[in-house]
Amino acid sequence: MIERARHLSEFQIALRNFRKNRLAVVCVYVLSVLYGGALVAGFLSPYLFKNEDRNYSYAPPTPVKIFTEGQLTRPYVPAMELTFNEYNARVYKIDLVKKYPVRFLVKGDEYRLLGIFPCRYHLFGVEAPGRFYLLGADARGRDIFSRLLYGGQVSLSIGLIGVLISFMIGLLIGGISGYYGGRLDDILMRLCEMVMMVPGFYLLLALRAAVPDSFNSVQVYFAIIIILSFMGWAGLARIIRGMCLSLREREYVLAARGFGLSDFKIVVSHILPHTLSYSIFAVMLSIPGYILGESGLSLIGLGIQDPYASWGNMLSDAMSIVRIKFAPWILWPAFFIFLTVVCFNVIGDALRDCLDPMLKAEGEAQ
Amino acid sequence: MVLATTSDPRSFNDILAKETSTSLVTDLIFEGLTTTNASTTKVEPNLAKSWDISEDGLTWTFHLREDARWNDGQPFTADDVVFTFNGLIYNPDIPSSARDIFTVDGKTFQVEKMDDYTVRFTLPVKFAPFLRGMSQAILPQHKLQKAVREGRFNFTWGIDADPAEIVGTGPFKLVRYDPGQRLVFERNPYYWKKSFDGDPLPYLERIIYLIVPGVDVGLLKFMEGTLDGYTLRGMDYPLVKPLEAKNNFTVYDLGPDTGSQFLFFNQNSGRNPQTGQPFVAPYKLAWFTDLEFRKAVAHAVDKEKIIEIVDNKLGYPQHSAMGPAAGFFYNPHVAEYDYDLNKARAILAAAGFSDRNGDGFIEDPRGNTVEFSLYTNAGTTERVDIAAIIREDLERLGMKVHFQALEFNTLVSKLTSRFDWEAVILGLTGGIEPHFGKNVWMSSGQLHMWYPMQEKPATAWEKRVDEIFDQGVQELDENKRKELYDEYQLIVSRELPLIYTVLGARLYAVRNKFGNLKPTNYGGVFHNPEELYMKEGYR
Repeated sequence: MIERARHLSEFQIALRNFRKNRLAVVCVYVLSVLYGGALVAGFLSPYLFKNEDRNYSYAPPTPVKIFTEGQLTRPYVPAMELTFNEYNARVYKIDLVKKYPVRFLVKGDEYRLLGIFPCRYHLFGVEAPGRFYLLGADARGRDIFSRLLYGGQVSLSIGLIGVLISFMIGLLIGGISGYYGGRLDDILMRLCEMVMMVPGFYLLLALRAAVPDSFNSVQVYFAIIIILSFMGWAGLARIIRGMCLSLREREYVLAARGFGLSDFKIVVSHILPHTLSYSIFAVMLSIPGYILGESGLSLIGLGIQDPYASWGNMLSDAMSIVRIKFAPWILWPAFFIFLTVVCFNVIGDALRDCLDPMLKAEGEAQ
Repeated sequence: MVLATTSDPRSFNDILAKETSTSLVTDLIFEGLTTTNASTTKVEPNLAKSWDISEDGLTWTFHLREDARWNDGQPFTADDVVFTFNGLIYNPDIPSSARDIFTVDGKTFQVEKMDDYTVRFTLPVKFAPFLRGMSQAILPQHKLQKAVREGRFNFTWGIDADPAEIVGTGPFKLVRYDPGQRLVFERNPYYWKKSFDGDPLPYLERIIYLIVPGVDVGLLKFMEGTLDGYTLRGMDYPLVKPLEAKNNFTVYDLGPDTGSQFLFFNQNSGRNPQTGQPFVAPYKLAWFTDLEFRKAVAHAVDKEKIIEIVDNKLGYPQHSAMGPAAGFFYNPHVAEYDYDLNKARAILAAAGFSDRNGDGFIEDPRGNTVEFSLYTNAGTTERVDIAAIIREDLERLGMKVHFQALEFNTLVSKLTSRFDWEAVILGLTGGIEPHFGKNVWMSSGQLHMWYPMQEKPATAWEKRVDEIFDQGVQELDENKRKELYDEYQLIVSRELPLIYTVLGARLYAVRNKFGNLKPTNYGGVFHNPEELYMKEGYR
């Protein structure tokens, strides 16, 4: 046993430490479910994100019945009809006579599974003209459950792609700046400071205003990612640069230089890997910033545009106290944003704890 | 009385600024020679007690009230009227928004003082809305003349001004302004108007406007009892109405609002002077100038569901360029377009738009896919909702529509100077005097948004509308005027430069503590602040 333990790699030790943190493991599972759900959103959701039926404006979650006159039957949903009461509030009348059995693997709106295969089958649903709203409907009778899944595709992927781009920039600029030092370092670090100096949300708005208005939704999506990554790289670059400043004096770097390795190779394969343990949890801790950035932008109507869903633009419907009062289910996206942000933070913290020993070890080696 | 507004005034200078946030303040402080009766919408004497018209309708002599005083105690005289027109409105150094209204065919009115309480206006041509226009606020000569002489007027009475300097003849005076927080008005002790029993008006000691950061905050403040009155949206009604009896307030539904919301396409055939590029791609311009295309779009506006979804059924479909709130000049007999996607598809097919390559989108006869961007301003949820509903229906017709909510100022600069847009959903406030919409309807107008500032009318019907506005302004017989403006509304409904959607209802919630409340559709609930009083037990 002792023999084997000695052969555990750094990564395996870290993984073992990480597993000890129960909460973080739960968070990993939660995130896996969220990302998995977003990946196969088309299949899991009963309707397409833009499938609307204006007769079901702000319909409450559809009740699923399993009893007919006291007898157990297969689950069904009753018909609902919109009426307005004397105060002009929406009241949905439930008509138990018309039943729509809940079916699995039903044919419905066409979507592309994993973005590639055209498919018409949905995990569950009811036959038209029945409507099944698991979590209620929005203003125009679109299914909130379906839109949450589709919205997750946007909101969750923006964090990942954004973080990837900005960390590549951050690592590279930080690495170059720290390795070369001198004038180049001065220029690059002043650039960093300029980006960090402007308050985040205003920079976001200013950059958003620079995006051409003629962009379609896909272009806007990528524009937002680029904007967010443009804002995110500076913080990392500064810390990486600090680490590089000390790393470049290490013996193995000096040795590599002595062997005549190119500067680029030294930075990429000898210096940056040593900053990785820091980078990994920094990545985790910064993903929520991207998710919140997109949500904030979409919330005020400048991000992802209707009919496409993102958690932020779904939430913009909930900016009015009256709507929350009569249709509290429009707050679901807020719950998912909250859940995702908490999970990333917990995982990031846990990673820091289990990667820390190595950071310490590196400190001692000096 | 405590009320709320969502935006700070930009200025207290009535000559320079015309935003609603400013007029809210200036309406309490200043008065004009005439006023519009909120119940009858007829013009009534105000600072002028009477007037005479010459036979040819060009010379108007106003007899001013002799008991009117400025709120610093100075007497109000003919000098102030002459100063307001000759010294301010017609002063070329002052960017006055009123100058447009009081200029006909490029000629100004001649304003002369006859004696201390008589003023004579000589018009170059007949001008039908003259009396209504005379509700223009009169400003004090003794306070402002020095600033005008020194060329400082454009910086006078800004929001940093000392409230005591802002002197008007109206029922209230400003005593305090805390930016972002509140505006405090007190009764003007020199106010000339008396009640029927001869009591001095106004009754209310003070009016406070709280500046709230958003409509929802205002609503909460009303519900918790801080505010005495609040303007409701259709969607607020179900929340507020049930609490009427318990919380001792009343919700007034005063019928259709004056503000309209509409969709329109860019029909500007001009080119960008710098790049030489057309503002709108020529093949798209061909669709937008095609009446059949616009008709099809008009049939795709689901007004009934918009009213249900956006206004909780408290709205009205709009068909005519002047809404029902315009009263006398409203023409209800115009072309209407019901929501019928099949009819819209048939119209499109007949005009040569159909899906030829089977991609789910329609193409024009030359094979271009019908694809355009649709803008509206971000921030007003109602309008974004309307835009989203219309977008969905246009997509059902096979049009590829890219919807985008822009920041308000970006959108305005596109409409008024850059002209690089394709379709927009916007709103305008309306009034009861059709001529005051000339900036929108005459082809040379700046707000003729689908093709602004034309040198000569681009189409036959725009030429006819120009003629109507030119004739209408000189026609003094009300009934003949109405015939003219009825025709313009009919033309607009047939030619569809603006495709109208819905009108909200004017809803107000007011606490039951005021007497003399006379809500009307035209004036709202607080059009007579000088007559309102607190009932016993609330003082």
